[in-house]
Amino acid sequence: MGLSVSELVNAEASLISRRCWSDPGVYALEKAGIFARSWLFLGHESQIRAPGDFVQAYMCETPIIMARGEDGRVHAVVNSCTHRGLPVCRADHGNTRRFVCPYHNWSYTVAGELVAIPQESEVQHKPDKTLLGLKQVPRVESWRGLIFGSFDEQIISLEDYLGDMRFYLDAFFDRFPAGIEFMGAPHRWVLNANWKLPVENQLGDVNHGAFLHSAIIPREAQDVIEALGHSVVTTPGHGATFRLMPEDAPVDDVAWGMEAVGSILGGDEVQEYLREVQARAPQRVGRLRARMKGLTYGIYPNLSFLWSNTSFKVSHPRGPGKVEYWSWAAVPADAPDAIKKILRTNYSSFFGPAGILEQEDSEVWSQQFLGSSIDFADDRPYYYGLGLGEEQPHPDMPGLVSVTANEFYARHFFQRWRSELLAAEGAV
Amino acid sequence: MTALAVATTAQEQRDLEQFYFYEARLLDGRRYLQWLTLLCEDIAYLMPSRVNVQVNNRERGQEGMISVERELEGGETMGCPHREENYLLLTLRAERAYKVNSWSENPPARTRRIVGNIELMAREPGGDVAAWSVVSNFHLYYARPGSDNVIYSGQRRDTLVVQPEGFRIRRREIVLDYANIELPTLGLFF
Repeated sequence: MGLSVSELVNAEASLISRRCWSDPGVYALEKAGIFARSWLFLGHESQIRAPGDFVQAYMCETPIIMARGEDGRVHAVVNSCTHRGLPVCRADHGNTRRFVCPYHNWSYTVAGELVAIPQESEVQHKPDKTLLGLKQVPRVESWRGLIFGSFDEQIISLEDYLGDMRFYLDAFFDRFPAGIEFMGAPHRWVLNANWKLPVENQLGDVNHGAFLHSAIIPREAQDVIEALGHSVVTTPGHGATFRLMPEDAPVDDVAWGMEAVGSILGGDEVQEYLREVQARAPQRVGRLRARMKGLTYGIYPNLSFLWSNTSFKVSHPRGPGKVEYWSWAAVPADAPDAIKKILRTNYSSFFGPAGILEQEDSEVWSQQFLGSSIDFADDRPYYYGLGLGEEQPHPDMPGLVSVTANEFYARHFFQRWRSELLAAEGAV
Repeated sequence: MTALAVATTAQEQRDLEQFYFYEARLLDGRRYLQWLTLLCEDIAYLMPSRVNVQVNNRERGQEGMISVERELEGGETMGCPHREENYLLLTLRAERAYKVNSWSENPPARTRRIVGNIELMAREPGGDVAAWSVVSNFHLYYARPGSDNVIYSGQRRDTLVVQPEGFRIRRREIVLDYANIELPTLGLFF
């Protein structure tokens, strides 16, 4: 790597080395310092409702099976047979009683317990099967249906980890009496980019919209963001951006979903539904949070929630220069099916692999990786100092708050990143 | 998708091929506004997402066990298709291409479409206008500055309206041969 972590990012994280985005040594430290020690998003409970239901997931590059066991509990195990290492599950999702390794048919329950070794009847030395189950993810917890896993047995509880982000997440979740659900399998998209740039983009970078996306996003949308936009950091690495609409804003201006193209083209029924959701909002989430019109959210290290287009996204690293980006459309669980089908297009038409906006994002993320790999430019670290020190506590909302052009969301992310990599570097 | 193609006259088959070759030439020539004139204004433009599904043991020995249809999360499912678009959204995409700040197309990609295996699957009784159900395969070569060159491979399932001045596309469903999308964008015109 050549440089130590303390030289890659300065203490206030206003200067970020290009190597942070491209160096294999940095990536190895990220695995040890971040992905081995954080809560990582696995999926949503709506994906595994019945015993035996499973979906595949990833924790960094580690393939995971998330399943609902016969006991009704959620289990997460590493998808690799303890005999020869093959994946025991090949389908993206489904329902089963057993995972069977194709090589010698060792078979496992969906909770990962080894239940059969076909060859053992022919030999005297029989292994203790209770010691040979699939590797368990030691901590699995969920909050509001969002399931996370951690390889760190000592990690704080998920609720404490999310901390005050729950205040902002509930500004959306609590609008819906039955919560939300994910529609179908994730869109999975391989990009030649570093995993952190999609994360940064969704953590608070709403100010690229009027520039990168100016072929589609009108200037007026940016004017609203500049006038009403708030950027919040609750805990370093967690952040939210939203517009706080005036108290007398017309319902169509403040209601979630009304601004997205699926709803605009979707007709009266979906628009009336969204107005009703908004009408209930003050009662359900309070008057202040009912005025929040969300944009982007980030949960450290690699989960994003795009409130405006209602999508959850995970940036799974595949080395320093490749990412497998997963995204799901999320909808209110108790909405009628016809409404859900319209709402999913609020996501898919503008975001995801076919998204008219995200094709621009994914292109710049790839170009940024090329820029980060340039030789002989290490004396030109990236400038992250916009608005340095301008964020302040807010009387009514938790966390540090500022205008959206203040890049403090990224500085806080990289300060946390720096300290976690320094710890990992010291441990090496 | 298991039925044989219906019998066509040589002239009908030629007309279909000429239409698809012309369409491909327009798209490769980046003449998207002219391409829009080949669409019905009530067009449904669909691209299901595709997943690696679990094999159902009870279907073993039968072709249905590994049918393509099982892998598709299309518009009628409660999954999430990649694209469910109408004429307005397609127009938005077409017009975007001629703006200087459509960065993922600036400089524009070089594409080459090869359309083949064109089969008329059904003549639908369509009231006033005849509608033909047509499937075809495509390979689309895509080269963009600063990105890997890729090949898109897939099938189109079209409903064409037969009008005196030629065919118009009323429905297009694109079945891509990918589950993981290792492609720069699915936002092209397929």
